[in-house]
Amino acid sequence: MTEATPALARRDPNISQVIADTIRMEMERDPTIVFLGEDVGYSGGTFGASRGLHRRFGDWRVRDTPISEMGFTGLAVGLAMSGWRPLVEVMFVDFIGVCLEQIYNAIAKNRYMSGGRVRMPVTIRTAGGCIGVAAQHSQCLWGTLAHLPGLQVVVPSNPYDFRGLLAASLESDDPTIVIEHKDLYLRRASSFRVGAELPPHRFLVEIGRAAVVREGSDVTIATLSTMVERSLRVADRLAAERIEVEVVDLRSVCPLDHDTVARSVAKTSRLLVVDEDYRSFGLSGELVARVVEALGPSRVRATSRLANPDVPIPAALVLEREIIPDEDRIERAVRSLLDDRVPDA
Amino acid sequence: MGERFPLLERYRAMCVMRAFEEACLEGVRNGELRGELHLAVGQEGVAAGMLGTLRQTDWMVSTHRSHLHAIAKGVPLRPLLAEIYEKATGLCGGKGGHLHLFAPEQRFSTTGIVGSSLPVALGHAYAARLDGTDDVAVGITGDGGVNTGQFHETLNMAAIWQLPLVIVVENNRYAISVPSRDVTAGPGIAERARAYGAWGSRVDGTDVELMADGFRAAVGHARAGEGPALLEATCFRFRGHFEGDVDHYRSEEEKRRMIAEGDPLRIAAARLLDRGQADAATLSAIEADARRTMRSLLHEVRADPPPPPADAFRDVLARNPR
Repeated sequence: MTEATPALARRDPNISQVIADTIRMEMERDPTIVFLGEDVGYSGGTFGASRGLHRRFGDWRVRDTPISEMGFTGLAVGLAMSGWRPLVEVMFVDFIGVCLEQIYNAIAKNRYMSGGRVRMPVTIRTAGGCIGVAAQHSQCLWGTLAHLPGLQVVVPSNPYDFRGLLAASLESDDPTIVIEHKDLYLRRASSFRVGAELPPHRFLVEIGRAAVVREGSDVTIATLSTMVERSLRVADRLAAERIEVEVVDLRSVCPLDHDTVARSVAKTSRLLVVDEDYRSFGLSGELVARVVEALGPSRVRATSRLANPDVPIPAALVLEREIIPDEDRIERAVRSLLDDRVPDA
Repeated sequence: MGERFPLLERYRAMCVMRAFEEACLEGVRNGELRGELHLAVGQEGVAAGMLGTLRQTDWMVSTHRSHLHAIAKGVPLRPLLAEIYEKATGLCGGKGGHLHLFAPEQRFSTTGIVGSSLPVALGHAYAARLDGTDDVAVGITGDGGVNTGQFHETLNMAAIWQLPLVIVVENNRYAISVPSRDVTAGPGIAERARAYGAWGSRVDGTDVELMADGFRAAVGHARAGEGPALLEATCFRFRGHFEGDVDHYRSEEEKRRMIAEGDPLRIAAARLLDRGQADAATLSAIEADARRTMRSLLHEVRADPPPPPADAFRDVLARNPR
């Protein structure tokens, strides 16, 4: 147990290595963490995010399960009630429908239904987002999951947050779903604009605190996951025209840190939410509503939402590009938010 | 165990169980309990047969029809009844209600979703292996639950990892209104164990002694580290699926016969008289005593306060969400 964690000294890890190193560090720190899921053991994970863990911790703490999501998610409920801290991998968030019963009726509700007598320290890691794998393997679904009371929904965008938020999830007494964008797993830490530096020691990122990753005075973009970098690139482009965009990385959908966004909008008075998830009944509408409620309509000059326009994700790349926010669309959305500056000026 | 729970003691427990369910029923009749109530009147033999075999440290995870299992696991009657009556003094402070009972001190919980009890029990069995104890976990379901995917996923995982899990199937022959024989393939429920290389057996759950023997054998198997056990206990549900069920799917003749021939209390009473282990006066006194005890408990619970309204907002998360 006292073995040094070469993990933390690894040079320029990719995101899947950051995840595996974090799990390893947390499992060494807390012997009650048990990791379950499909292909998490011997093979080291479909996305390589559990490499070396089975060898280090053995069958009973790193368990290759059959393809029985409902069964092993329910198993996690019993483990948690018995005093363990299960970490469950649901390979793709699209598969969560098969085990949603145990997630939303037990994991999310047992603390409440028991009057606080039962703890549910369960972390569920799952992969989301578009990488050209079509309708059943590309969804984000953080809005769907955040809709259900009793769950934290965490969506990291950079190496620092992947480590800090996952460690915080594993330490939390509340059930937490961590949605990892598939497009990030193989990205090297050094390639990130934000959070590329990983300290060689353990640290936590508080769940429920958004981060202002770029300051600006004209428009606020609130976003998360891979859309953070896209938004930052758009902000660079527009800076050349002296349009200053503030970019807020939400980092979690529940809790949703609308205070940080509202503080930003209090300054810019314009809010664009960029979201890869479905538009209706989701994160973008919720965030706009909360910011307007917090500031009052007179202090919010304009709002806009850029998200998947409520269609399943198509297979052909040319079709996928039609529905997922890209830099050009983000830029156009920012410009149209600023349209009213002309008559106003 | 036979000494701690001779038939007379099991009979006494069954009288308490029936009086308990009647005390719940009264709340429906008086309009004190809203919502659904699923009673196990007629199924006392299964619960009372489980008495005396489990340890406090063994977990039990039950179903929507769970009151008697809670009693068998040692959950104190007063907070149990108070939770069913949704009082502040209930097991869960009135937030769980009759379908969602949690008694971690007695290692007991329930779920209102058919089939979902079993993977949770599987988790407790996995925890026992991690802890290195010889505790077992008992997952209860019904003849309806054996057709859920969770039943099969659980048996499969319990068998491949040789976990100390006991699945008790209360086969009361109806999945709500549908006769289980019409929707359940194969020679029987207990026989499904064989497909997973698990121990399986069927007992007549209206006979509390047979149930006790069967349960002791199932738990013994699991506790010995020989993998999961599946015990099918046949029984009758005297009332509808829930209070309010018009129960038109069973004929009057069928209902008359199940009460005449399948009442575990009557079966036990007849045997006690037959063996000369009790006389009629003793049995009546036991029954009257159970009723009296439950009446006074109900009287107390009725006087308990409801939960404070602000409790509606507590315990969603350990930390307050924003």
